[in-house]
Amino acid sequence: MGFAFHRPESLDAAIGIACEHGETARFLAGGTDLIVQINRRRIAPGHLISLAGLGLESIDETDREVVLGAMATHDAVVTHPGFGKQLVALAEASAVIGGRQVRNIATVGGNIVNASPAADLVPVLMALDATVELRGRDGTCSMPLDRFLVERGRTERRPDEILTAVRFDKPPVRSATAFLKAGRRKAMEISVVCVAAHLVPGRKARIAIGAAAARTLRVPQAEALVEANGRAAFAEAGRLAARQVTPIDDVRASARYRRLLVATLVERALAACADRVEAGAA
Amino acid sequence: MSARHYRVAGKRLKRIDGLGKVTGKHVYASDFALPGMLFGKILRSSEAHARIVRLDVSRALALPGVRTILTAKDIPQIRFGTAIKDRPIFADDIVRFRGEAIAAVAATSLEIAEAAVRAIEVEYESLPAVFDMEEALKPGAPLVHAGWSDYQALPVLDRDGNVSGRSSMGGGDVEAGFARSYRVYEHRFTTQHVHPGYTEPRAAVASWDGNGDVSVWCNTQLPFDMKNLLAEVLDLPASRVRVVVPGIGGGFGGKLRVGVEHFAAWLARKSRRPVKVMTTSEEELIDAYPRQPTTILLKTGVSEDGLLIAREARVLLDCGAYANSGPATAAIALQMVAGPYRTPHFAYESVAVYTNKGATGSFRAPAGPMGNFAVESQIDLIADDLGIDPLEIRLRNVYREGDEGPAGDTLTSVSIEESLRRAADAIGWKDRKPGPGRGKGIACSWWLTTGGSSGVYVKINPDGTVTVVSGAVELGSGAMTGAAQILAEELGVDLADINATDVDTHLSPYDYGAQGSRTAFSVGNACIAAARDLRRQIGELVAPLWSVEPDSVRLEDKGVVSGNNRLSLAEVAGLSQRTGGGLISHGTAIQAMPVFDPTRVRNHPLPAWTSQSFHTHAVDLSVDPVTGEVTILRYVVAQDVGFAINPTYIEGQIEGGVAQGIGQALSEEIVYDGGRVLNANLTDYKMPTMMDMPRVECILIEKPSVNGPYGAKGVGEPPCIQPPAAIANAIASATGVRVTSLPITAEKIALGRLDEAAD
Amino acid sequence: MTRRALDLTINGEPYELAVEPHWTLLHVLRRELGMTGTKENCLEAECGVCTVLLDGKAVNACILLVEQARGRSIVTIEGLGDPEHLHPLQQAFIEHGAVQCGYCIPGMILSAKSFLDERPGRVPSEAEVREALSGTLCRCTGYQKIVDAVIAAARQMNAWPERPGNAP
Repeated sequence: MGFAFHRPESLDAAIGIACEHGETARFLAGGTDLIVQINRRRIAPGHLISLAGLGLESIDETDREVVLGAMATHDAVVTHPGFGKQLVALAEASAVIGGRQVRNIATVGGNIVNASPAADLVPVLMALDATVELRGRDGTCSMPLDRFLVERGRTERRPDEILTAVRFDKPPVRSATAFLKAGRRKAMEISVVCVAAHLVPGRKARIAIGAAAARTLRVPQAEALVEANGRAAFAEAGRLAARQVTPIDDVRASARYRRLLVATLVERALAACADRVEAGAA
Repeated sequence: MSARHYRVAGKRLKRIDGLGKVTGKHVYASDFALPGMLFGKILRSSEAHARIVRLDVSRALALPGVRTILTAKDIPQIRFGTAIKDRPIFADDIVRFRGEAIAAVAATSLEIAEAAVRAIEVEYESLPAVFDMEEALKPGAPLVHAGWSDYQALPVLDRDGNVSGRSSMGGGDVEAGFARSYRVYEHRFTTQHVHPGYTEPRAAVASWDGNGDVSVWCNTQLPFDMKNLLAEVLDLPASRVRVVVPGIGGGFGGKLRVGVEHFAAWLARKSRRPVKVMTTSEEELIDAYPRQPTTILLKTGVSEDGLLIAREARVLLDCGAYANSGPATAAIALQMVAGPYRTPHFAYESVAVYTNKGATGSFRAPAGPMGNFAVESQIDLIADDLGIDPLEIRLRNVYREGDEGPAGDTLTSVSIEESLRRAADAIGWKDRKPGPGRGKGIACSWWLTTGGSSGVYVKINPDGTVTVVSGAVELGSGAMTGAAQILAEELGVDLADINATDVDTHLSPYDYGAQGSRTAFSVGNACIAAARDLRRQIGELVAPLWSVEPDSVRLEDKGVVSGNNRLSLAEVAGLSQRTGGGLISHGTAIQAMPVFDPTRVRNHPLPAWTSQSFHTHAVDLSVDPVTGEVTILRYVVAQDVGFAINPTYIEGQIEGGVAQGIGQALSEEIVYDGGRVLNANLTDYKMPTMMDMPRVECILIEKPSVNGPYGAKGVGEPPCIQPPAAIANAIASATGVRVTSLPITAEKIALGRLDEAAD
Repeated sequence: MTRRALDLTINGEPYELAVEPHWTLLHVLRRELGMTGTKENCLEAECGVCTVLLDGKAVNACILLVEQARGRSIVTIEGLGDPEHLHPLQQAFIEHGAVQCGYCIPGMILSAKSFLDERPGRVPSEAEVREALSGTLCRCTGYQKIVDAVIAAARQMNAWPERPGNAP
């Protein structure tokens, strides 16, 4: 349990420390997962580099887009006034991550960089075609979240790179999102399956699924089916999605049950989107 | 005497230990510390059944800050155990489950102790292991204890190889009964390991004094049992062991037996420093005293109108690697498979089985939820098949006043019919299927109030307050507040005038302990006896002053009264201190076992129950048609408490017991893969959260017992018995899917429905 | 491991500590400062008994490095009220029978305070209380009387907002 704690005063300083210590350094966001992993001796970093106080906490909106700072907490997402309507899935997902005590500390960036296939906010961001912004030794770059995630616990991030923000285009007024999660309890659950959907009727459908493969994944064929056929295809899209995921048997659920959940939650999330669009139009 | 005449008893008064608990000032065992204290950690086996061929602590011992390391070689070879002395402190040459203690380290910090544990080198030679009860019972199965026959054990036990105990009960002629039956039903039910889930880990601080005596501050439910156990494993006279319970963060039966106290005491002895040992969640889930898993086979013959004629039952109960209370729990399962039902012909057998898994124990109502799940699920299946309403079939079969229990004892104060009717009314039983995916379920049961003796010292202080010294631990249930209410009632003072001390086995009178729904009952009776003696002392003190008969002296309104004479209780206590050493008494209570028919019972330590309670649970729930997710909408408990000493805390017992029962019904399970626990953390051991719990509507029935204080019956354990059965029945009603294994996860319901549709 | 100086405020009082980098806030409170009102159990943010307020918001002290609290303000149960001057939440927990073994209660009360302080002047619904407090497990009570106590305390705090114990 011996690590050095660094509290850099700028992003560049943070990157410098990371470069200096290479693989033995880890950036610390909220730490709600990292500290548990250290305590369980799954990882043993020599250096923790705090990202607190570096200006990554804000949630900003322009006319075109939304930018979530990597250090924005889940509580900040839940209480953000702009996430009431088309973007309500963001709040729905952040609201079911751990207990309040965790949501007051745990961050958007941590949820992404962890690359847990069961991360709750990630499917929503993926359904919104979000892009992650990275800053490292060689400057800044951005890439689609869908590309950023590689597999359980692995991303395209290099050790010196800080995920600074995640951004996505504001969806049109006539659109909706929905997030659904299944777990054994009604709170304090790591998802057995979670599903986010984003629907712009007549134009775009996005479906992202968590805890049903080695990473959060989209199901493009199911999306195309919905884009072509609308509400009539929701059930079939669910069945298609269930065939595309590759869930595992573990202590939380069997693969067979996870597929059943995928089929159902995809259909329901799409239906929730469609209902929300109609309710918004009414 | 009816409740309305009491001033203190029966009232919703505030608990006597509340202030310290809401301000963070109440000190629990896990908070306790001594200057210069070391921290202990345990090295645990990574194998389920193996011979230790090499154990090398030298590298660990060399770490700076490590003060002592103990293994089996460093201490006397003593085996201990509740029913069978089968368990060593540290595995000697054989480990019998994954997680068994092999060595203990004391170091100047917890981090150093943990590092030292990792630095101990162990090599194993695997032995054939057995994890499944049925496998363990087969001829030629690997023996968990090759030397089982040499162990000391209670004479009542019938043991053999992997069988740590076998019990039976029988009456009538069961084969003839089946032959006469209209239909005979056979079903198999299984239940899981569940952890008591106390929020405070088990913790102990041990310190040896200059005389070579040891004090242990710990969170045990049974301080006197602990004192004796520690004396045994430390090879000391019991008088040289002192156990103090400063405070305890829940127990539920999981803190009855030694947890870390023996490690702390041995480490402190060898290191000559105080040592603290405390469990982690991981340790709790691999080596504690969870509820035993069971497999229950029920064969029941009934008449055309649903009367039970004959029943055969076989209960297999998985003790894990060490028997602990398993044999007694398996025996109690016999009363549970009888249910609160008249059954003329019966043959019940239970077998407690060793396997290479963690030891188990007496979680709240041991055997209760398991037996009830089987019996109350089956009676619904029978009712469905015969086209009889589930409430009606129960009403036709339940015990009536004066009936014989399974051991031939005479049942009194029987209230099962009233509890059934009141719970059914409250849940709206007439409308059993209020809508699609909705269903209601009902389950009833009975339970005992455990005997054992209690003593209290009661002292009246010259400021008019009263101190009660008891050997019973306040687990949180409010039992000691209840006993104090009875004492206040008897002495004519207010509850606020009563102080209760912590338990210290050097100072406190004996108590059989906080177990078996007995604390308020038994300590309350001891308080009545103590008060009676104080009234006598006071009468003898003031009678000559007033020239009255001692018998005419009464205690009321904080005063001593006879005719027109009155002195305050404070004045009389002061007078006694000046003239006679003060007002102090020793009250005792014991509940005797009722008369029973020994020919009906074999190898059963608790064949007939005293001061039984009767209770019914009813639930209204909905089930997601696809995912199987269960949402409990309403939950009703009608429980006979005999006399509600403090209704608020009785409701608290019911609400909390139901929560544990709902956990067992729907979400909790220690999952083993062979000998390995797959979910040794609170992320995946899933106790109900606030979002999972419905409101629980409590109906308190007061049919007085003959023995309890003011007619009270045991309250604490019963509420966790029926939730699995009531919920299983409601789910079957809502979905048509009958799940016969616990927990009833959403997955089992959803896949069960798919499989039924496919058939 | 070398220790570093660290300032933080606990229950309104400044503390200057020398800490090791891996120490959690829970370790500092319980082991270094002897403030055992904050409880210890799962150490993985699953049970909530270690809940304290960090700048007014409920957090799990078991997985918060004390370095993350550097310069910030902590409130523990010891800072809420004493037996002579109970906070309305403490009072309500006693009056409603919400306390049994009591081990979860400090964390539960601080979770409730964080929640109620976010919404001054409002009495929450039962569902809102259950959602807000679901990160703290209680094994004794079944939660019902805790929920009742929190709602009753909210009423009390709204009726007497100026009471000293009610200040955030």
